[in-house]
Amino acid sequence: MASLISCPHCGTRPKEEFLIRGDATPVRPAPMAAEEAWHDYAHLRANPRGRIREHWQHVAGCRRWLVVERDNFTHEVFGVTDAAKAGEGAR
Amino acid sequence: MAYEYQAVHALDGTIGAIAEQRTNHLSVHRMTAVAMVLAAPGQTAEAAGILVSNGEFEARFSGPGEWLVLSEVHAPETLAAELSVRLGDFAFVVDQSHGRVVLTLSGRDAARILANGIAVDLHADAFPIGRAANVLCSHLSVNLARTGNESFDLVVMRSFAEALVDDLKVMARSHDLSVDFATR
Amino acid sequence: MTAYRLASGGLVDRSHAVRFSFDGKSLTGHAGDTLASALLANDTLLVARSFKYHRPRGVVTAGPSEPNGLVTVGSGARRDPNTKATVAELYDGLEARSQNRWPSLAYDVGAVNNLMSRFLSAGFYYKTFMWPAAFWEKVYEPLIRRAAGLGRTDLPRDPDSYEKSWAYCDLLVVGSGPTGLSAALVAARSGLRVILAEQDFVLGGALLSETTPIGGEPTYVFARRVVEELQNSPNVTLLPRTTVFGWYDDNVFGAVERVQKDVAVVDAAKPVERMWRIVAKHAILATGAEERPLVFGGNDRPGILTASAVSTYANRFGVAAGKSVIVFTNGASGYRTARDLAAQGVEIAALIDSRMASGDVAPTGVRLLHGSSIVDTKGRYRVRAVVADRGGFEELIACDAVAMSGGWSPVIHLACQRGGKPVWSEALQAFMAPDVGAGLVMAGAAAGHYRLSECFDDGARKASAIVEALGRPAAGLERTAIGEEADPSFTALWHVPGAKSKAFVDFQNDVHTKDLGLAVREGFGHVEHAKRYTTGGMATDQGKLGNINAIGILAGMRGVSPADVGTTTFRPFYTPVSFGALAGTSIGEHAMPTRRSPLHGWAARNGAVFIDAGLWYRSSWFPKAGEKTWRESVDREVRNVRENAGLCDVSTLGKIEVFGPDAAEFLNRLYCNPVLKLPVGKARYGLMLREDGMVYDDGTVSRLGDQHFLVTTTTAMAGGVLSHMEFAAQVLWPDLRVRFLSVSDQWAQMSIAGPKARTILQAVVEDDISGAAFPFLAAREVRLKGNLKARLFRISFSGELAYELAVPAGHGEAVADALMRAGATHGICAYGVETLNVLRLEKGHVTHAELDGRVTPDDAGLGRMMGSGKPDFIGKRLSTRFGLTAADRMHLVGLKSMEVEKDMRAGAHLLKDGAKPSTINDQGWVSSTCFSPTLGGHIALAFLKSGRERYGEKIVVWDQLRGVETFAEVCDPVFVDPENTKLMA
Repeated sequence: MASLISCPHCGTRPKEEFLIRGDATPVRPAPMAAEEAWHDYAHLRANPRGRIREHWQHVAGCRRWLVVERDNFTHEVFGVTDAAKAGEGAR
Repeated sequence: MAYEYQAVHALDGTIGAIAEQRTNHLSVHRMTAVAMVLAAPGQTAEAAGILVSNGEFEARFSGPGEWLVLSEVHAPETLAAELSVRLGDFAFVVDQSHGRVVLTLSGRDAARILANGIAVDLHADAFPIGRAANVLCSHLSVNLARTGNESFDLVVMRSFAEALVDDLKVMARSHDLSVDFATR
Repeated sequence: MTAYRLASGGLVDRSHAVRFSFDGKSLTGHAGDTLASALLANDTLLVARSFKYHRPRGVVTAGPSEPNGLVTVGSGARRDPNTKATVAELYDGLEARSQNRWPSLAYDVGAVNNLMSRFLSAGFYYKTFMWPAAFWEKVYEPLIRRAAGLGRTDLPRDPDSYEKSWAYCDLLVVGSGPTGLSAALVAARSGLRVILAEQDFVLGGALLSETTPIGGEPTYVFARRVVEELQNSPNVTLLPRTTVFGWYDDNVFGAVERVQKDVAVVDAAKPVERMWRIVAKHAILATGAEERPLVFGGNDRPGILTASAVSTYANRFGVAAGKSVIVFTNGASGYRTARDLAAQGVEIAALIDSRMASGDVAPTGVRLLHGSSIVDTKGRYRVRAVVADRGGFEELIACDAVAMSGGWSPVIHLACQRGGKPVWSEALQAFMAPDVGAGLVMAGAAAGHYRLSECFDDGARKASAIVEALGRPAAGLERTAIGEEADPSFTALWHVPGAKSKAFVDFQNDVHTKDLGLAVREGFGHVEHAKRYTTGGMATDQGKLGNINAIGILAGMRGVSPADVGTTTFRPFYTPVSFGALAGTSIGEHAMPTRRSPLHGWAARNGAVFIDAGLWYRSSWFPKAGEKTWRESVDREVRNVRENAGLCDVSTLGKIEVFGPDAAEFLNRLYCNPVLKLPVGKARYGLMLREDGMVYDDGTVSRLGDQHFLVTTTTAMAGGVLSHMEFAAQVLWPDLRVRFLSVSDQWAQMSIAGPKARTILQAVVEDDISGAAFPFLAAREVRLKGNLKARLFRISFSGELAYELAVPAGHGEAVADALMRAGATHGICAYGVETLNVLRLEKGHVTHAELDGRVTPDDAGLGRMMGSGKPDFIGKRLSTRFGLTAADRMHLVGLKSMEVEKDMRAGAHLLKDGAKPSTINDQGWVSSTCFSPTLGGHIALAFLKSGRERYGEKIVVWDQLRGVETFAEVCDPVFVDPENTKLMA
């Protein structure tokens, strides 16, 4: 895990200021999507090695939800973006 | 029966009298009016334009589109109303005068003391006068602002004020610190 | 007497005597001594017993890699075990004691292990303590526990304080020898923010024991001048007595500063140690190189030191390790030590060089033996003679100290702590740091540049490159003439063949060459296996001294290169760090912050007993004179609320204000029940689910304006719900135009409950709050008499006619006082969370004792709330899945104890009458219990299979922990006023 995270709003901060939710790739299915899709979304997570995208919230700072893209093996952080902005890109 | 509701400060009864201010001093503000301004969705720039500090109040960055506005001029009862008038539909304003406690730490070692609990680089080049941000101080989230070369404001949730002052005293253990209510 | 203080020389202050004690014996040293140098000056060579065989041991080094010289400093709660005598700064009043011996260092009973050593070979733990199994806990474990460990700590709480600091810099320089000083100087002159950390208490590193002059003056004078310039640079922070112990992600370094480890009387107000977290844009490791010991028979006797340590004791501390010293070397460094000793007038009994020939020149008159080695040593508590092997011919040579030099290993530990593997250099016969990127570079001896001039140049060159990388012009350094330099070359000698007695590879763990041989023979030749099998490289020194020889020996045994053997994994910490420093100030009352309610003073004035509730400090009950137990107080408070009225502090509930054109839509998706059509001025109970369909939290939703809501959360989930809402607004539905803010701390909130609540409240509230004007679930701003704005909510947790009144926090105490005054004639009482719990339980209201994450709304009897007609809300889709709608799910029920004297406890399980306790027969469990003063018996809320169909059934409440079984009757969870007549009054 990284020691420091560069919050796009607050600057470089220690990891202690953040809350980590986990995998940022699952997208909430449509309300009436198949139960399988919802089951996947709510319960199933891959655990890949390497480059991952995670939801981190800067709870002690601006309280924004962020997408942290990092390598869980080398601990390199590739980028940190506001989750609302990251979502725009995905849509 | 008379109804008067004397206000109690969160730190009343926890701060002893001091003979004089020491090299470093933590000053507790009794009367500062505080409001939180939340820009209406899509109106951040407009709200920010109106919140340019003007001597009546000072807006401090809290998060994107969110500011903590402090005023020594306006009364707690009127600051939020005043801001609401100025901001109109650009923002929502919430009075937080009772919800927050404002402290000023000043003195030669102020930045060094804060480095015992705050991970942000407080070198004047990295955190200049006028900069504000929410930061973690020991276990607590506070709004930190540099108000001078050797002075910082800390704004904390009321329920944590006593814990923060206790933490600051511990952080200042290797330095000379006095604590008192501000006189104004 | 053999080891002694030289008549002159060294950097100690001979005019300043320092008194200290070792094992109770009073001794004297000088300011500037380490404990080790002072002990040596007092001819105290025996300082410890070894870990396994309890062999007599003396110090081997003059620095932090010391494996033997571990002592206990201080006493009582301030006792510091495993303190390295070679690092500990001598101070007046220092009390040191030896470890791992009984009854005394000279007569150690444990030394019998040495005689039994054939039974204590490598892996003996795994072989010996296998059987019988009955012995594991009763015999072997106590035995191992008593024998294991080095020093011991005491149980009393550490009276000292510690602190943690953050620091930022452009350049962190680790080590203050020639490399570190020149690097720091270049960076400082170029205007960089520099931190220079040095584990020693004097800055200068090798320059403090170097004899080559710089610019015609002694090296330490040169060092002092550089340090002075750095001290006067405002952009430089010097941290002596600071060990950089770890390198972490993003170039963050951990370091521990010994602030008050050099004083007998600690200033309790100040920290004894400070832990630094240093965020460095760049770092230069100028950590130097470590001299290797030689592995020969009997190489562990007191008086046998590394040659560089012997030089350091002579040059820096003015102490001779012996009167007649043998130097044993495989390279040029031994010759340097011989020259240093000769210059001080110390006799050199022989210079034994394992190489057949070399160009190195021994001091005049010294007997030089080429192609020779030591195969054994003699002496009991110190070395008295060595057995030298000269091409098959053995000779006994008397001496009282041996200086051994096995070549050099760069100190690369920090650079390898983040996964980078050391790289073998055939040229240097040493492991080098891998390329770990621009953030951290090795310089000087740590990078294999052993000569003094190379160190200066390399430090300056690497600092200049960093200055330029940061976009600044690099300042230059003036060139200084450096005198004749020592040659650092050597020919690797991993162990001396033909040892006549144990040849130790790892002194601290008593690992000798035969142990490694056994490990290879038994299939544990991989370097990581060999470490675990032999314990070589474990404990406090982590093989700093011995590992390299172990690797060389393993390579030889396996017939491969050291490159193929590789090293064990490097991890923080470089040297041990106290738990105190790691905890910092987060201990005792500072471990977690305490939250105080704005009504705390009111509660205290009314005699509250407080309880920790999460971070909050909440009023639990309010005892009156004569009440002996909490139950008496709680029973009275409950009856009083049901008959008259009570006031309770509910300020700790989470309060979040929600704004925006889409506020209603947002909340409608957040709660499982409908919110869209909630009228302005009304409140509604709200239930939040998780996406998996389970209940997450409950509270109230009040509409204060068309686009303005106030929601409350439970005290426990206030933080979690806010994060959850932020996730929903920012990640799930960023298109919704909504803003919200926690306003929990702005408001003091009190519940006024009981049949007389309205009468009492009306005395204080200006507005009309009659039943017609302010009906159940009304929620709006009111004005109090005396012109204070407040928010009033007619909601009830107790089941009584009840209100929650919120006023700006600072006015809370005064308003609560006014209500108590107004209610005095109506019998109002203060009540706490215990009474609140009984009241809600009697009414069948749930808390997180029930809503534990496994409960659906229907399980909790709240299924009717679900807004099934809503197109979407969090948890909607999965709440209809198979299993969550099964008929035999556990339902919330009430339980009434059928035995007057028997209570029930939360956590107890439910069984059918007559059924044996088993998983198959499990019918459910008890979530909350209390004594109900209203019903006059013990009641409980529980979850029971198909419970709603089983009212009236007699059931067993089985509490295995206490061994109690209670009969109870299943009933509706609403014990009190099921028709809500009191609530609606």
